[in-house]
Amino acid sequence: MTIDLSRRGFLALAGTGVATTTLGAMGFGAAEAAEAAHVRPFKLVATTETRNICTYCSVACGIIMYSKGDLAAGETAELLHIEGDADHPTNRGTLCPKGAALKDYVRAETRLTRPRYRAPGADRFQDIGWDEALDKIARALKDDRDANLIEKNDKGTTVNRWTTTGYLAASATTNETAWLTYKTVRAMGIVGFDNQARV
Amino acid sequence: MAETLEPDPSAIGGVPKAPFVFLPDPVAVFQSRARRFGFLARSSRLGPYLAFLGDLSALQARLAVTLPSPAPLPPGRGGGMPVIDRALLLDDPALHDTLAALCEGAAGLDMPEPARLALEAVSQVGAEDRRWLLGNILADTIPEDGAAAHLFAAAAVQVHLARLAARLAPEALAPVGTGTCPACGGLPVSSTVMATPGIENVRYAACSGCATQWNEVRVKCLCCGSTKGIGYHSAETHEASVKAETCAECGSWLKIFHRTKNHSLDPVADDVGSLGLDLMMRDTGLRRGGFHPFLAGY
Repeated sequence: MTIDLSRRGFLALAGTGVATTTLGAMGFGAAEAAEAAHVRPFKLVATTETRNICTYCSVACGIIMYSKGDLAAGETAELLHIEGDADHPTNRGTLCPKGAALKDYVRAETRLTRPRYRAPGADRFQDIGWDEALDKIARALKDDRDANLIEKNDKGTTVNRWTTTGYLAASATTNETAWLTYKTVRAMGIVGFDNQARV
Repeated sequence: MAETLEPDPSAIGGVPKAPFVFLPDPVAVFQSRARRFGFLARSSRLGPYLAFLGDLSALQARLAVTLPSPAPLPPGRGGGMPVIDRALLLDDPALHDTLAALCEGAAGLDMPEPARLALEAVSQVGAEDRRWLLGNILADTIPEDGAAAHLFAAAAVQVHLARLAARLAPEALAPVGTGTCPACGGLPVSSTVMATPGIENVRYAACSGCATQWNEVRVKCLCCGSTKGIGYHSAETHEASVKAETCAECGSWLKIFHRTKNHSLDPVADDVGSLGLDLMMRDTGLRRGGFHPFLAGY
């Protein structure tokens, strides 16, 4: 910064010198020092606010998720609170009772976080791997389809209906995912198909 | 029964849309700010400074009543520019008169010797230096070694800009850019997450110059507009009502107040009152963004 002579003269007249903060320059340096001493033992804590979409239904309300820890600094986050996103055009900050309880689902001890399997006749679930789980599902689907696919109706017209298996897909998907899901499920002939939670 | 009960679907008929701006009522803004400064001064280690700023805010409120009304603004500029053209104000005699009246009024306030020296210098300053002082404030800058003198110039600019902004029509204002006041083009002093019914949890930035409050999307840096790398820092607790909104993209931060946790927070008074957070944020290596003439140098 360059200051011409008249400015320097003016600033000298204003009694300003080396003080760099307003409090120092105004003569409140003691108050500033007292505050600095007061906060010295305190620690800064970091909170992250993350925008997301409620997973529940196809209304797709905006939510803000508060978590401990600074994700931007590479720390892990622990969910503290979820509220409606007041900026979101769909819900303007409001949530239905299901959405308002989202935090409890995320943090529920009984939340499903890995594939599990209950064998016929068993009284409890057991953990299985993803490959094993997908193989079992594919096997069951194939067997059912082979046994029950209706290829032609009474008049002999080809219909390829598979009515003994239903498919319930997610609501919190993108258009692209929903399109792929629809194509895959209908291509197999599945009739009972819902691609979103009922609102 | 004499009265018939009628259903009132309006109470459940949807959520109101948050207004884009709240234009200032200068007298109310400065009066409530003065009260808040006074309240904070009673329990803060910064008491003397807060009490002084409370007196100064009360003086600003008095000037907003007693000074003659500023001349009407020229018609809107359009072109996505703020309505008030700050460059024109530099030679507005009403602004210079406001500064003179503020200096005269401030002479009666209680203040330390260095502050009084600065006030006297500003009171006696020549036209050219006065233009320089006002020009710095209108450009949202404060020279490193001129904080005290510029505080008084800023107080006068605040009075003048708030009175000009008060006469605007809210519907004439449109977003200018992230972190820029749609009324006068100023930088924000802080932002506030509101608690008033109808605008709960909506964030408004407060202009450091004209005190207009305008809607800004949350979880977004008011310095660079980034929505990536935003974090919140507070002293000791995640439940704090005052937090520093930090941006990893541009390396700056600005305070955000949660009125949902404390209804009394003032965008200017509590920014000074929470100076402790500024002192703690110094160690993070981030730069304080926005503009606050009462807190230069942080």
